[in-house]
Order: sequence, then structure tokens, then C-alpha cells
Amino acid sequence: MKKVLVAMSGGVDSSVAAFLLKEEGYEVTGVTMCLGVKEAGKTSCCGRDAIEDARRVCDRLGIPHYVMDFSGDLNEKVIAKFIAEYARGRTPNPCIDCNRHIKFDTLLKRGIASGFDFIATGHYAKIERDQQGYSLKRPRDRRKDQTYFLYPIRYEALEYIIFPLAPFTKEEVRQIARKADLPVADKLESQDLCFVTRKDYHTFISKRTGGMIESGPIVDVRGNTLGRHRGIVFYTIGQRGGLGISYKVPLYVVSIDAERNRIVVGEKKDLKAKGLVAGDLNMLVRRWPSLVYAKIRYRKREAVCEVFFENDKLKVLFDEEQEAITPGQSVVCYHDDRVLGGGVIEEVCPDEGGVLNGNY
Amino acid sequence: MKRIYLDHAATTPVDYRVVEAMLPCFHEVFGNPSSVHAIGQEARRIVEGVRSKIASFLAAKIEEIIFTSGGTESDNTAIKGVAQAMKDRGNHIITSSIEHHAVLETCKYLEKHGFHVTYLKNDKAGLVDPDEVRRAITGKTILISIMHANNEIGTIEPIAEIGKIARQRGIFFHTDAVQTFGHLPIDVNELHVDLLSASAHKLCGPKGVGILYVREGTKMVPFMHGGEQEGGRRASTHNVPGIVGLGKAVELAKETMGEEAERLTSLRDKMIRGILEGIDDSVLNGHPVKRLPNNINVSLGYIEGEAIIMYLDREGIACATGSACTSASMEPSHVLAAIGLTHDFAHGSLRLTMGRATSEEDIVYVLKVLPVIADKLRSISPLYKKGR
Repeated sequence: MKKVLVAMSGGVDSSVAAFLLKEEGYEVTGVTMCLGVKEAGKTSCCGRDAIEDARRVCDRLGIPHYVMDFSGDLNEKVIAKFIAEYARGRTPNPCIDCNRHIKFDTLLKRGIASGFDFIATGHYAKIERDQQGYSLKRPRDRRKDQTYFLYPIRYEALEYIIFPLAPFTKEEVRQIARKADLPVADKLESQDLCFVTRKDYHTFISKRTGGMIESGPIVDVRGNTLGRHRGIVFYTIGQRGGLGISYKVPLYVVSIDAERNRIVVGEKKDLKAKGLVAGDLNMLVRRWPSLVYAKIRYRKREAVCEVFFENDKLKVLFDEEQEAITPGQSVVCYHDDRVLGGGVIEEVCPDEGGVLNGNY
Repeated sequence: MKRIYLDHAATTPVDYRVVEAMLPCFHEVFGNPSSVHAIGQEARRIVEGVRSKIASFLAAKIEEIIFTSGGTESDNTAIKGVAQAMKDRGNHIITSSIEHHAVLETCKYLEKHGFHVTYLKNDKAGLVDPDEVRRAITGKTILISIMHANNEIGTIEPIAEIGKIARQRGIFFHTDAVQTFGHLPIDVNELHVDLLSASAHKLCGPKGVGILYVREGTKMVPFMHGGEQEGGRRASTHNVPGIVGLGKAVELAKETMGEEAERLTSLRDKMIRGILEGIDDSVLNGHPVKRLPNNINVSLGYIEGEAIIMYLDREGIACATGSACTSASMEPSHVLAAIGLTHDFAHGSLRLTMGRATSEEDIVYVLKVLPVIADKLRSISPLYKKGR
């Protein structure tokens, strides 16, 4: 019997993933990753309640459950970078880093070293195998598609991963949970990060940066000062409200200048850019077609673009200008349903020249 | 799969002779010891029989034994009870940094209610220095509480010496003896203790029953109020089956205690030697000699405790780690932190605690499996070489 270790957050998705694997005849073991969230009573995917919920589900399924501490890893590999990136004027995506460094690296390696054949999670994504090898693909439920967060999985790891939810929609998953009488069938989805809730975001960053946050000027694209900001870490590109400036047209954050501690604002049209340069690449397909689809934020639609590789960087040039390309977020490229790979956005290129000259 | 249980510090299997002794107390001798009639009197006689047995086991007087629901209640009763009774004399309590949570959390609670607590630093082996105790005493000190032996690292504290100091200064002295009761000889007079907590389920007795020894003359207010049981010191209908089980467990422990300690000590040292010699970057936690006969606690560098536990569990070996998250508190072990272990080594800690059923064969098996697991977990990279 093949042995599989399922990462269980106590939510409905990973619970159903475990259930499905058990039904399929795997020897299933549940593991909850303790990420050091200590505040009791908060709905978060990794706190004490999460562990209790996961435990209840495993009891229901009659499978063993363990808790593993990843708080050190989370601090070193995810939160530290999260804070550093904000301080550099970027808007990081810690879930991607968690997948990159923790779930599909440390946990995976630990699971395989502990004698499991696979690890599984409740992500909405699909892994397919054919003669050419393995590929990461979009799942049936397009609205829940989480491949954007999964692109940093190393190719070599794909053969050890199972995403049991690939053929199901969220609604079906809930139905399965209800039918199986899993105690988490109607649990609400968490919109927060594991280690900080939306409400506490600012306090968390202030505390972690320890007094590095300074207020500074808000300027327009021509450099005229329009107001003051509370610290660049509290702003993201494309942000509209919360600027404290009254102006004849709506203003948006168009860039964050960490060096001079400035927030640059402009009109909607100033948000548009032709392309980007990304680094920290992960390639899931060796040869890419030159025309692909790229997604620059989880909730954004993918857009047609041309891609170029130069040294270790990926340049993306969109057919149509894109709004609010944000350094620190990831760009993920697709060909049909298949994830080709992606990287972290480092530079925004306002026009083609910037990209073609490679002057980033 | 053969199961090897090496977590006796957490709890032990109940001896079948204990179960047999308890069974009549559910149907036949079911009376309430406080009742006047013959059925009640019979139950009372049985309870008092156990009390006198335990008193003689500890070299205590019969009325100095109070039955409780276990170690945690005994610790709470002793510490809060004495603090409350003595608050006009002073508000200072001395304890150590590696005490069980039942003691530490009780002290923290008292700190919120006007008491001051000194948490003595234990040395690297976990020992409390009696001179430190002496220095920590002030005119306001009313209670000293130091455990007899630590539940995680097995270190046995110099209780007799500390007790002597407390006695000289007229300060009440409590010891949590949950890990030693029934395993090491305890004479409350030789140890100079005024209060001692113990529990049945660590010596093959049932869960939910324990004792608190309270020396005659010790000032302590009751923790549980209600009926007049236990001389008004602990209300609640007696847990007759539990008390009988405790009595039988003590009787059985008494018979074999000496030779069992010797047997386990030799297995313990074999296991410790085997681990330290067989696995690189492994260290022993706790004292090499002043140590519970059944306790092995090692740290394996560069390995996560939970990963070893999970692996061993799947191999049929049940043991514990001081790593975070395995306990309900989600904090790394305060004991390992207090004896100066770095985060990494605290994470890679492994506690194996043996019991009556542990055989030499079990030790040999663990020593065969453990280095293999350690190797595997340390060289996690094969994953990325495998099959490609």
C-alpha cells in the first residue's frame, strides 16, 4: 500500500484531500504544520484551533495525526523575507515563499525521508504525468485555481506530490465533506495569512521592522509633494484609498521608492506598463513557446505576452499594457493549462525600450 | 507490528493485578466511605487500609496522607494551600526553573495575586544548588517547592539537603515526587519534606488518583470545599476504586522496587551508551548518574524531534520529544531551555522512558532502528537523487 503524508490545516480542503486518498486505498497519515502562531482564538490556518480541527478530522477518518514544528523555518525563510521585501518597497507574497521553502521543500523532504511515498495537500491544482514527464496544471475549478502559488515547486518534486482536489470544484469538496460527515464541512475560509491577520498587519510589520519605519513624502509622477505617508511598508502598488490626499482625479500608488522613502502617486493611466523583469526563477518546462500567458497577481487575469530569457532573468512583454505590475509579487507563465514556471517581479518596464535594451 | 512503549514518564499501563483489585469496588464494595451503614463502612475500611499502607510506604503518619485526583491537584493544593494559609507571615515562594507545569503555572497564578516567586536557575545537568536555595531565602519566604526528579530529563534533585535548609529556617518544603513515587525509596523524614505530591498512573496504577502527603503541623488551607472527607482538607466523595488501585500499585512497586531500579539503570546506561556511540552529534540531556533509572533523554543534532517521533511511531516505537508543538502548549520544552540547550538541540530531543515491560530486546531494537532513522533524516537530499 502506498503511503502518503497529507498536510492538514484543519480546513475543509485538506480534510477532504485526506478523505479522498483514504478512499482510494492509500495508507494516509495527517500532519499539521505548526507555524508558531500563538494567539489563541484567532481563525488562522496554523494555530491551536487548526491543530484541534485537523485532529478531529483524522480521528473521524481513523488515521494517525502528527504536529510538526515549522516555526523556525517560517521565521527564517518566509517572515524575514516578507519584512525585508516590504522594507525595500516591494509587496511580497509569503504564501509563495512558504510553498517554495516549507511545504514543498522541507516538509516534502522530511516526509519522503520518513518513509512516505508521497505528500499531498488540499491545493486546487493538478499534476499530470506523460511520456515527457510531469507537469503542473490548472485544476477543474478555475475560480479556485491555486497554481499561481505553486509555481515555485521544483520540477524534481512533482513526482512526489498528489493534489487530490484537482478534479473537484469547491462546492463539490464541501459536499464530499458533508457526506463524509467531516466536522469541518462548513468551516469558513480564512482570508488571512498564517502568521498575521489582516487587522494586525500594520502592527506586525511595525514590530518586526523595529522602528525602521519612517514617514515621508507622497509625490506625483513629476516629483511634486502632495502629502505625507506613514511609512512605505504600508502601501502597495495600485492602492487607491488611504492616501489622505484630495485631488481632482482619483490617485493610485504607482511606485514605491524605498531609497528616497517616497510614495509616488499618479492617475490610473500611470499604473500601466508594458512589461516586467523577474528573477528567482523556477522552470517547470524546459523549452517555452515564445508566446505565453502570464499572471502577475493571484486575482488578476492572465494576459498574452512574449517572454525572453537573459542570464538568470525572465523578461515579459505584454501585448497590452498591464496595470499595477508590482515588484515582490510573482509572475507565473502558462501555456494552455500548463504552468511553465515563473519568478519574482523585480522591475517594471514602462515601455518596450526598457525591456529590449535590458536596462533594468 | 510489535509495539514498544517507551513513554512511561507520560503514563504506564495498569497492572492486571491492579485492575483485579479494583473490580470489586464497582459492584460489591460500592459504598460511600462517608455513609454510616455497613456497606459504607466496608468501603471506608478499604480506603483507610490503603491510607495506612501508603503512610508506611513513605514513613509517614496515617493522617498525613490525603487522597487527591492526581499529581496536578496535589501540587495545586500544596502550593496554593500553604501560600494562602501563610500569607500573613510572608509572600515569597522559591521554586526551580524546570518544575512541572503544575507547579510553575500555579506559581505564576500566585504572582498575579500578590506573591513573589524566585525561579532558581538549574545547572546544565538540571540540578538545583542547595546554596542557591539558601541565598534565595528572605524573611518573607513561606514555601520552597523543588521536584524530586524531573519528568523530562530525569535529573534527581538534592531534596534531602534542600529540605534540611528549609527545616532550619522554618519554611515549609514541598516536593513533586510524581516521577519517583514507587520507583525510588522515599522516606519523608529523611528527605525533610513537609508536602509531597504523587500520582498512581506513573506506577502501573489507574489515572485520576494520587496523594498529597502533608506533615502534621503544616499550615495549609483546603483547595476543595464541600464535605468533611480527608479531615476537611479535601472535600469530594472518595474515588474508592482508584484508591484501591493506587494501593495495589504501591504494594506491587514496593515488592520489586530495588531490583527493578537496578535492572532499568543497566538498560538505561546501555541505551545511552549505544546512542552516544552510534549516532554522531548526539548529547545526553540531564545528569549522567543522578538520574531516574528509567529515563533516557538525548538530543540528536540537525534533526527535528517530531520527525523522529513520527518515524519511530510508524516503526512501533512510542516515545516523546521536548520539541515545540508536540505538547498542547506549542512551546518548546521549558526544561531543555532552562538547562541551556540551544533551539536546535531542544528541537532534536528525544525522551525514552522505560517501564516494567521494557526488555533488553527492546533496547537492542531501538539501538538498531534509531541510527538508521537519524541518518535518513539527516541526509534528506536522496529525495532529489532518487530515480532521476
